[in-house]
Amino acid sequence: MPGEIGIMVTSPGGLMGTIADGLLQGCKQGDLSAYEDLYSSHAGRMKSIAFHLLGNRSEAEDAVQETFLRIYRAVPNFDGPSGFDAWMYRILINCCYDAARKRRRQAEMELTADPAVPTSVPLRIALEKALARIHSAHRMVFWLFEVEGFRHSEIAGILEIPEGTSRKWLFEAKRDLKRLLTEVRS
Amino acid sequence: MKFECKDLERCLEVPELMADASEHARDCAACRRELWIWSEMSNVASSLREQWDTPELWPKIQAQLAAQPKRKPVRRLDWRLLGAVAALLLVAAAGALSWYQTRSHPRSAPSSDFLTEQTLREVEQAEQSYARSIDKLSKLAQPKIENAGTPLIAAYREKLVLLDSAIADMKSSVGQNRFNTHLQLELAALYKQKQETLQEIVRREQKN
Repeated sequence: MPGEIGIMVTSPGGLMGTIADGLLQGCKQGDLSAYEDLYSSHAGRMKSIAFHLLGNRSEAEDAVQETFLRIYRAVPNFDGPSGFDAWMYRILINCCYDAARKRRRQAEMELTADPAVPTSVPLRIALEKALARIHSAHRMVFWLFEVEGFRHSEIAGILEIPEGTSRKWLFEAKRDLKRLLTEVRS
Repeated sequence: MKFECKDLERCLEVPELMADASEHARDCAACRRELWIWSEMSNVASSLREQWDTPELWPKIQAQLAAQPKRKPVRRLDWRLLGAVAALLLVAAAGALSWYQTRSHPRSAPSSDFLTEQTLREVEQAEQSYARSIDKLSKLAQPKIENAGTPLIAAYREKLVLLDSAIADMKSSVGQNRFNTHLQLELAALYKQKQETLQEIVRREQKN
């Protein structure tokens, strides 16, 4: 789902999964098979998140490609192994943020988007439309938790926010979505 | 506690209270509907995940990574080492100046007034040099501070504002009493704090 990204994420240091030492060393040494392992494990999720943020598959793939390039360049400075996954997803989100900023038409899409949630469409489509109308940070947490299946501790690592904030934003996202969905359906 | 409809939202915020809400919803159609929407959002959300095959993506990434220049070990700037070298140079310069002046005026014993004035001048010169170095460091950290995207960087920015204000106050006090060693030391300590804060911001930037 296209949408502005309200969170600028910056540096490593999260709580997420610990990368195997060998894999991290492989990445640091520029071993492409190590990157292939990373790609196999994470590309699906990365593409989905990028698609959510950029709104089309082609740009999502470009963002994933750019993410691997930035990881390749930055990993020698990464003081792992803990927090590697969170760091990687932060880079992905930053890549999407950069791509979205370059795209002027993105702002136009935001402005011209039809705010009405149609009553006759299935809940899935209504939810997608309602998601576009809630606070971008809340939407990001909702997406990572409910769609991508990250835990609050992992989201906290990716977005560099306290775990309690992640829980609160999820609640606020769901509360706003419920209100939007109920308004239209009642 | 008797559960009422108005308690529903609080229960949704605290998952541990959901059992009470469910119990209440058995006899309350409105709350039952609210709860259904709440859980259905989670059920439907998982179907929003976008998945598609991209057999050509990894070969593209692989080719791009392979085309990257071979890595050299990255050497980070060691600010402590640079600071130590700068301090050493400062001491050496002060020593050389003192030696030169002793050699230039070997017979005339300088008055104590002159010594005090001379020492103060050296302190002020060192302070100006230190302040210039910190200004350079500020310029390095400026883009990061201006785009404070995280609470941490925002906190650093706040701290720098406070330090700048304290430095300005202290300089004003020093200006009124230039020979006060205590004030000079306080000012130096504030500069040091600012230097350390800026270094921390720059280090974080380099890590990213």
